[in-house]
Amino acid sequence: MLNKIIRIFRKDLKITTRDSMLIYIIVIPILMAVGILLFAPGISDSSTKFAMLENDSSEYIEYIQNYAQVELFDSMDELERRVLKRDDVTGIIQNGSSFEVIAEGNEDPSAVIMSETINALYGLGATRENTTAEILSLKKSVPPIKTNLVNMLILLVIMLAGMIISLGIVEEKSDNTISAMNVSPVSQNNFIIGKSLLGGLVALGSIIISLLILGYYDINWFMIILVGLTTMILTMVVGFLQGINSSDVIEAAAGVKMLMLPIAGSIAGYELLSAKWQWTMYWSPFYWSYKANDMILSKNAQWSEILLYSAIVFVLSMVIYFVSIPRIRKGLSQS
Amino acid sequence: MKIVSTYVKEMKIAFRGFYVYIEIFVAIIALIILLVAVKENPEGKSEEYLYNDIPSEILQDLYEKDIEKGSIRFIEDTELTIKPGVFTVLNKDTGFEETFEYKEEKTVIAKTYQKLNTDTGEVKGKAYVLENEEDMIRLSNSTGKVGATTTMDASGNFSFKYYLQGYETKRYSDVLYLLHTFSEDDIKAAMDQQTTRKIGGSGRLNNREAVVPIFIAFSGALMSFFIIMSYVFLDKSQGVIKAFAVTPSSVWKYLLSKILVMLTTVLISSSIVVIPIMKLKPNYLLLFLFLIASTFLFSCFGLLIASFFDNISKAFGVLYLTMIGLMLPAFSYYISSFDPLWIRFLPTYPILEGFKGIMKGQADVPYILTYTLVFLVGGGILLALANFRFEKSLTV
Repeated sequence: MLNKIIRIFRKDLKITTRDSMLIYIIVIPILMAVGILLFAPGISDSSTKFAMLENDSSEYIEYIQNYAQVELFDSMDELERRVLKRDDVTGIIQNGSSFEVIAEGNEDPSAVIMSETINALYGLGATRENTTAEILSLKKSVPPIKTNLVNMLILLVIMLAGMIISLGIVEEKSDNTISAMNVSPVSQNNFIIGKSLLGGLVALGSIIISLLILGYYDINWFMIILVGLTTMILTMVVGFLQGINSSDVIEAAAGVKMLMLPIAGSIAGYELLSAKWQWTMYWSPFYWSYKANDMILSKNAQWSEILLYSAIVFVLSMVIYFVSIPRIRKGLSQS
Repeated sequence: MKIVSTYVKEMKIAFRGFYVYIEIFVAIIALIILLVAVKENPEGKSEEYLYNDIPSEILQDLYEKDIEKGSIRFIEDTELTIKPGVFTVLNKDTGFEETFEYKEEKTVIAKTYQKLNTDTGEVKGKAYVLENEEDMIRLSNSTGKVGATTTMDASGNFSFKYYLQGYETKRYSDVLYLLHTFSEDDIKAAMDQQTTRKIGGSGRLNNREAVVPIFIAFSGALMSFFIIMSYVFLDKSQGVIKAFAVTPSSVWKYLLSKILVMLTTVLISSSIVVIPIMKLKPNYLLLFLFLIASTFLFSCFGLLIASFFDNISKAFGVLYLTMIGLMLPAFSYYISSFDPLWIRFLPTYPILEGFKGIMKGQADVPYILTYTLVFLVGGGILLALANFRFEKSLTV
């Protein structure tokens, strides 16, 4: 049995190498990881940005530059044009001993409050030397936004594996190779495992390489592989189901969109819902996977939690697998 | 006339398959989720852990003042679980480092209050007040939220200790230092002396409405890039474009009919979400015009890319990376401080901004019309190139 699985795996490996698909599965996550590496500092720097006049006193401008990003403008017209642009930048100017804040009117209220506060502190002559505050650091270097992006990348790669399985099955159907498989000694179970193995293993490898590129050397690798493998089972089942149910590539593409709903919904639910509403997402294995990865990447995970979350993902995946296996078998027999 | 008959034929074929129904189904599900699960004005999610080293009578007095001002409201105490762990705390001023190690999990009860906007009464966030400083630091470390200690000395002066995670910017910690140089009343008085001049519109999208531009830009317009490629690859496998070479109809009419199918589907699915949520707020003429232009652009782009490949497997890398790349402006959309120059060159940036303006009911009409023209002209050029490629290769 193992021989047959390996043979299908090797056949898929050959085909995907010919189609560059394998290279895509490896290269896409790595490119995305490099993208995160480049964009994360910009995204996580949430410093306030102000528009100021060049002819304001240099002392005022330098003071503000210590606490916020500053864009300088020659004239009030230019400053106002900047404020009217589509972000939350406000203008701050000094009129003798008083100050003015120029706002578009639709900013987040905190942007205007921050503008008034910084002006007030400058007017009062506040400096770090006369503070009553002390800052202590917990010495973490990874901002949460980077962790979120990496976590999303992991789910995107897992989804990619599902997409590839789905599109691969549709193409096998159009080439009539599934009918050929049906009259060969290869069993349907072997075919399913063999077809899934390549996408799964390569996706897992890509996740590991991406995490290394992104500097997550000291996370618990056993935990991340455990969660990755359990989530992969689900994606493979869903990918197979979509491939079998799609009569052509358009339906497989639409199926991908359907798969994006629970994945995007799970991420949004975990990040946006308050604690008392989190239970509404418990049905989704992607929610548990995202939650587990969040803890692992934040180096805050306990084995008891990860085992529990992986078990939930596994059980939910198995439920979907056993519910859909007659459909998959029927689809394979009819192809 | 040939275009109309080809379009009608394509629509009939589309309705015979599942794709159009899946589009409509996804739009309905998205609408239900937005209406049921996404609150218009959700409570602020910020959380902080506090420890007060202040005599209880004085602390009670301070709470009462805040409650009177309407800036806080106590809610039911919260049971918090503190995980075991090892972490180091660095004092940024003295350079002193201390390592803490806890092997046992611990459960504590924290007094909890909501922080309120004094003007609107909206909940801005939540604060947990711990009985001892060590628990507060452990919670700050394990949850990644801010922790703070407030101390009052014998002469009644307050001092503050903030426990930051370590990845915050220098500017952020410098502002924290600055906020504790004068009393809250002094700062408030100096703020009140300033004038704030508003020079634009005041409309903001609520939390639910803010999702709509993202949905129609990505699930609608951008998705047409993917779907039209799938359509072409299906027809390629069935030899449809080769057939066009021996019919009186031209290839460009075939390509245009595919675009019209995409436009129809996107208009239907987007309307399902936009109309119930936005009601009469947007200018629908402008909305549909902009939606048509942006869908046209991506459809033509999809056609051009499809002309270079034989099947979807081969085109997959370009397809996937293009879609992910074009989704990047979503970060600018949600995080306004992230607005680098390069991101503005991606077409999805003006699309999101355009839809956002239209949804607010304060569309910048010249901006929308300029980009509509740019998208139509750009799409036209891409369509001409795609037509040239398909006619040359006749491999559809």
